[in-house]
Amino acid sequence: MSERIIRGRVDRTGALVSADAPLLRLQQRAGAGLDKPLALPHLARLVALAQRLHRDISRPLYAADDHSDIHALVRITPDADGASLEISDWRTRPVMQPQVPVIADSAAVPQSWTWECDQQLRLVALHAAPDAPAIPDGWEGRSLSELFELQPDEDGRFPVLRALARQSRFESQRVQAAGIAMILSGEALFDAMGRFTGFRGLAVVAEEQMPAEPKGGGTLVDPAFGSLPLSDPQFGRRIDGALRGPLSRIIATAETISGQFDGPIRADYARYAGDIAHAGRHLLGLVDDLADLQNIERPGFKAARDEIDLGDLARRAVGLLGMKAEEKGIRIDAPRTDDRAPATGEFRRVLQVLLNLLGNAIRYSPDHSQIWIRVDREGDRAMVTVADQGQGIDAEQQAVVFEKFERLGRTDSGGSGLGLYIARRLARAMDGELTVDSAPGQGARFTLSLPARDA
Amino acid sequence: MSDSVFSPGIDPPSPTLSARLRELAGYLAAPAAGRLTEEQRALSLGVARRLVADVAARLDPRIDPGLLWNEWLRGGLPCTAQLAGICFARAEEHRWREQSGQRTSPPPVLSEPETAHADARAESVPLSDIDRAYLALQIADRRRFDALGNPALAIADLDGETFRALLLEIAAWRLAEVSEDTRRAADLGDAVRVAIERQAGETGMAHAGHSYYEILGAALPGAAAAAIARHNWPTLIALAASAHRRAYDDMAIALLTAETAALPSLLAPLRLDHAALAPLEVSLVMLPARAVADVSSDE
Repeated sequence: MSERIIRGRVDRTGALVSADAPLLRLQQRAGAGLDKPLALPHLARLVALAQRLHRDISRPLYAADDHSDIHALVRITPDADGASLEISDWRTRPVMQPQVPVIADSAAVPQSWTWECDQQLRLVALHAAPDAPAIPDGWEGRSLSELFELQPDEDGRFPVLRALARQSRFESQRVQAAGIAMILSGEALFDAMGRFTGFRGLAVVAEEQMPAEPKGGGTLVDPAFGSLPLSDPQFGRRIDGALRGPLSRIIATAETISGQFDGPIRADYARYAGDIAHAGRHLLGLVDDLADLQNIERPGFKAARDEIDLGDLARRAVGLLGMKAEEKGIRIDAPRTDDRAPATGEFRRVLQVLLNLLGNAIRYSPDHSQIWIRVDREGDRAMVTVADQGQGIDAEQQAVVFEKFERLGRTDSGGSGLGLYIARRLARAMDGELTVDSAPGQGARFTLSLPARDA
Repeated sequence: MSDSVFSPGIDPPSPTLSARLRELAGYLAAPAAGRLTEEQRALSLGVARRLVADVAARLDPRIDPGLLWNEWLRGGLPCTAQLAGICFARAEEHRWREQSGQRTSPPPVLSEPETAHADARAESVPLSDIDRAYLALQIADRRRFDALGNPALAIADLDGETFRALLLEIAAWRLAEVSEDTRRAADLGDAVRVAIERQAGETGMAHAGHSYYEILGAALPGAAAAAIARHNWPTLIALAASAHRRAYDDMAIALLTAETAALPSLLAPLRLDHAALAPLEVSLVMLPARAVADVSSDE
């Protein structure tokens, strides 16, 4: 799948003067429109920053509307008349809002049904998303537990019944419907008097349907996680969903306070808020890593085979992390625009690997040093190498650097110790490899190789 | 093309000069008049798009609704007189419901229950006739959303004339597409007839609302007052429509555009006391960019 770019244009006054449909929709949902000031606070702040610095910036973008949280990457190019926006890797995840009867377009989960029931668990709505199994006839008014045969969780409990008694949201209710294993999640609904009126939610075809999945719902045994329930995919998904939203909000709010966007505050308070944002980003990174880990270790995990250019991806990675390097006075020698290395791999995953390699290089390089990124081709392999002037890794460490949770004795808050492990797993999932070549005092050279293709 | 992918129709068009001049002439003719907000336009257009896709699917599942819609977006929608009323009514009702939903008081916090208690709560209770009628009304109402919860019109709720007109327009468009295939063109005629017969036999909000209204009897004022207190606007509209023997969408727009002073007379058949109307009055007043009924309008 090729990367889709969403474009927009902001004029000198900060008004959005043109926008591709997704951006325009977001602006409209925020209560504005074309020729109105940009109503997405994070994006507006990034635009203001780019205009103040008089230079291109590439940053992660977090936005939200009534229905979904949106994560994307934005590149802002300021000019005399305003700024151009290029947004890529647009990802949305739904935010359940009990009182709003809309599940956003972005929440279209493949192979799912949307449903609603009243306070007695009688179904009043059932719709199938595209590609979902057909909904059974005669569902109208039937009991939820009649249509969906409820199955207990590991503790022998039924999340939906528990939620009914607590009048609260639930997820991970395993059910069988028309012979299909599904996972039910729902949000409690209330009327204007605060009276509980039922649930609305999704029924998603369970991944256990896949033949490769071990049967019996047992916890996957993982030597690294031991007996922790983190090795249970369902638990992992719950934790992922439960943590990501609050953490994103903590980060966004802390950044707002730290940047004093809503007015001046004491400098030490602003600094504390900056610390909170930093810690939040670290935790979010850990959640991302754990989610990735579960995903790539899932039986049957496959990466897409996009037509990519390692040169282009390396330049994108530099664009995203260039500011971070500048903060340490590090110079990045990136591939030139005509340096191309056509390859096959999943666009997003390769970018993820490169961001990890470049992020590590920046983190562990001394101030005012240099990082080189080179692309090359050897036979049927396209390669990209990230080299730094850090302290280097000895042979013993090289043997374990790709191990899970391996941080080579470091105890700072820099990472989870999962990044390189995930990066190598991803490389191998794309029929590639990730290797390191280093010596103490001589920096490190990480090379990602992927199947080359002819341009 | 899947429903969730094709354009919702709010992409800014490239205007022609004549279109811009017509727009300006209309503006100059009444510069002080309020106009549709972008949200109202987008919601109404979205409702129309889903309706067109639903009707097209009923006529022939092989019709690409995205292609049809994009062509109509460029050339203008047919049946605009009929579509404007029903789409605007549905869009405004949706805005009203969303506003009420967002202002709903937080739910009570309940303590951790015992599992046994939870199990007991889930046991089904036999339905009374009133409950059964109310359940049917809820089901009819939820049919007026698409799979993603966006507002839509149920085909069963359309009046026969509007459905027929729209169906014929889509059939004409399809005919132009398949004209070289005489067999498929002939099938299209049959499909139109079958679709019209099927729609005529379907029941929607009007029927469900009327059944609920009939079965309530003396409990009508209480049920209507509860609907207002709970901001359950579809139930209120359905009851009022039955009491006035008006169509649901017609009643919805009458209520949504009513001046505050007109509400007591409009809802008189529901035998509500004046205090019960207060949440309704407040909710309508708070709805931004609300249209107000023309002076010449009946009721």
